[in-house]
Amino acid sequence: MTDLIIAQVFNGLVLGMIYVLLAMGLSIVWGMMDIINFAHGLFFALGAYLAFTVTAWSGSFFVCLLVVPLATAVIGMLLEVSLLRRLYGQNILYQILMTYGIAIAGRELIVILYGPVGKSFDQPELLTGVIPIAGIFFPIYRVFVFALTSLLTLGMWFVIEKTRWGSIIRAGTENLKMVSCLGINITGVFTLTFGVATAIAGLSGVLAAPMRGIEPFMGDLILGICFATVVIGGMGSFTGAVAGGLIVGLSQSLVTLVMPSASVIIIFVVMASILLLRPRGLMGIRD
Amino acid sequence: MTAGEKTSMIGAWWCEYRPIVVLATFFMVFPFVLPYTALANEIMLFALAAVAFDLCLGYSGVMMFCQASFFGVAVYATALTLLHLTSNIFAAIAIGVISASAIAAVVGFMATQRSGSYSVLLTLAFGEMIYFIAFQWSSLTGGDNGLTGIKRPDLGILGLPSISLQSSLSYYYFSLVFFLFAFYLIRRITLSPFGKVLMAIRENEQRAQAIGYNTRLYKVAVFVIGGAFMGLAGSLYCMYICFAHIHYVHFEISGNIVMMVLTGGMGTLFGPIVGAFIIVLASDLASAIWDRWMIIMGVLYILFVLFARGGIWGFYEKLLSTWKGKNIEGSPSEKAAIHS
Repeated sequence: MTDLIIAQVFNGLVLGMIYVLLAMGLSIVWGMMDIINFAHGLFFALGAYLAFTVTAWSGSFFVCLLVVPLATAVIGMLLEVSLLRRLYGQNILYQILMTYGIAIAGRELIVILYGPVGKSFDQPELLTGVIPIAGIFFPIYRVFVFALTSLLTLGMWFVIEKTRWGSIIRAGTENLKMVSCLGINITGVFTLTFGVATAIAGLSGVLAAPMRGIEPFMGDLILGICFATVVIGGMGSFTGAVAGGLIVGLSQSLVTLVMPSASVIIIFVVMASILLLRPRGLMGIRD
Repeated sequence: MTAGEKTSMIGAWWCEYRPIVVLATFFMVFPFVLPYTALANEIMLFALAAVAFDLCLGYSGVMMFCQASFFGVAVYATALTLLHLTSNIFAAIAIGVISASAIAAVVGFMATQRSGSYSVLLTLAFGEMIYFIAFQWSSLTGGDNGLTGIKRPDLGILGLPSISLQSSLSYYYFSLVFFLFAFYLIRRITLSPFGKVLMAIRENEQRAQAIGYNTRLYKVAVFVIGGAFMGLAGSLYCMYICFAHIHYVHFEISGNIVMMVLTGGMGTLFGPIVGAFIIVLASDLASAIWDRWMIIMGVLYILFVLFARGGIWGFYEKLLSTWKGKNIEGSPSEKAAIHS
């Protein structure tokens, strides 16, 4: 039983790290540009499908880890420049409708290109199998995902806390007007921020694909969970996104042990109870 | 009573009921203009939900993105009542409306703790929560298969012979009565002192607070009222389609209702009806020609937000001003849109 629980905790951490990556992008875009990005789930699905195509072409999964995030970043930045940019400062409902329109159009495009039925996605051969650690067997692929996502999260933390671009992001989340008064080109920062957010979303799609397979609606499904994650963690907070993602992943995988049918609902139960105790979320910095 | 007084009384009556009379006349003939009655019914019920949301958005400035929860919960509540409890049509509607407003009270209480985009995100998250509950609690909701076998009850008023509502036209007129009554109530609310407070909150919440209004209480009340009317729409919709499915609590419905209000023009009450007409008709036509019609809807959403933000009326005004070569800074409805 303890073995099972430990394995499940590990699964929860891996799942949680995927949520962390997604929530981070959602939270940064929200805090910075005040846009609730409904297309965020699309980039997750896009990442997974691009990985499918790139793996088929190149024959190697590891190429995707570099190529796909770049591709989704380019697509994201193009969308930001051509569509989203026109909506800054407008009523939030317009932004939601716009990003939702992008999400539907993109999802249907995926269905047209790849068909409505999901596909299985083979784990890269190099990472199949299990490794025993203290008598418990861990799938190598998941260990790899956990290590990579943790590194990436640390890297993001470093960028946000220690670099100039990061300090612009943090300042922009606090007070955008002041930042542009200081002479910083906000337009470029927005495009770059959106690019980074979509790159991370694409990468998490790549990493999640071998664990769950790919289907056109995977973006819709995960988006709802990401909203809950951001609400739990608090808006525009990096540590909040990490805490929220891990809490969501762990509670989901642990409840699966006891009551599999409630594995998604528990996320929202956690969300509602945290909101009752702390309306701004765990680490929220702004209303 | 002099003749003059009499005419002025008629004038006052006409002033108050004119919109209802106009609407009633229009919707009486409506099903005969459209290719089939069911389409008219669908448009009318979504128009009701859209008008209810217009009360929230256009008059009170309360933004939310969980309309589907209120609509869909009423669909489920009505379906379950008809399946397990009673076949009384009024009881089914009442249970639908009450459960929708109860959900709206909870969501409203949570969402109004924050303001702006945070509040919208909270409503979104609760909308997703209700969707997932409906999805996973399949012993109650039928999950992805939905609830089937719902029978549309007959209309039985005490002491009168019961009237069959099985034909789509008779059910259309039955729901029309509810629609007109609801529209009248919503219009009364916007004209009442309560409605004036709502508009004050929309214009400037801090000032409304400074005068001494508990604005949060008013906003929760708006959630409950809006939720109740959306619930009424959902309840009637359930008996129209005789089916309950998780699609009705899905975000797509919320997005459509918001689109209806925005395309028609918010804060006008009539605009959302036009918007509902356009959106329902567009998706009906698009789904008839192409399996992947949702892509058309997605592109329509994007185009609408880019080019026709002020709604149909705002678009018309914009066209008019470019036609005349005058550069008027934004239409009034567009300004209202930015304001809220």
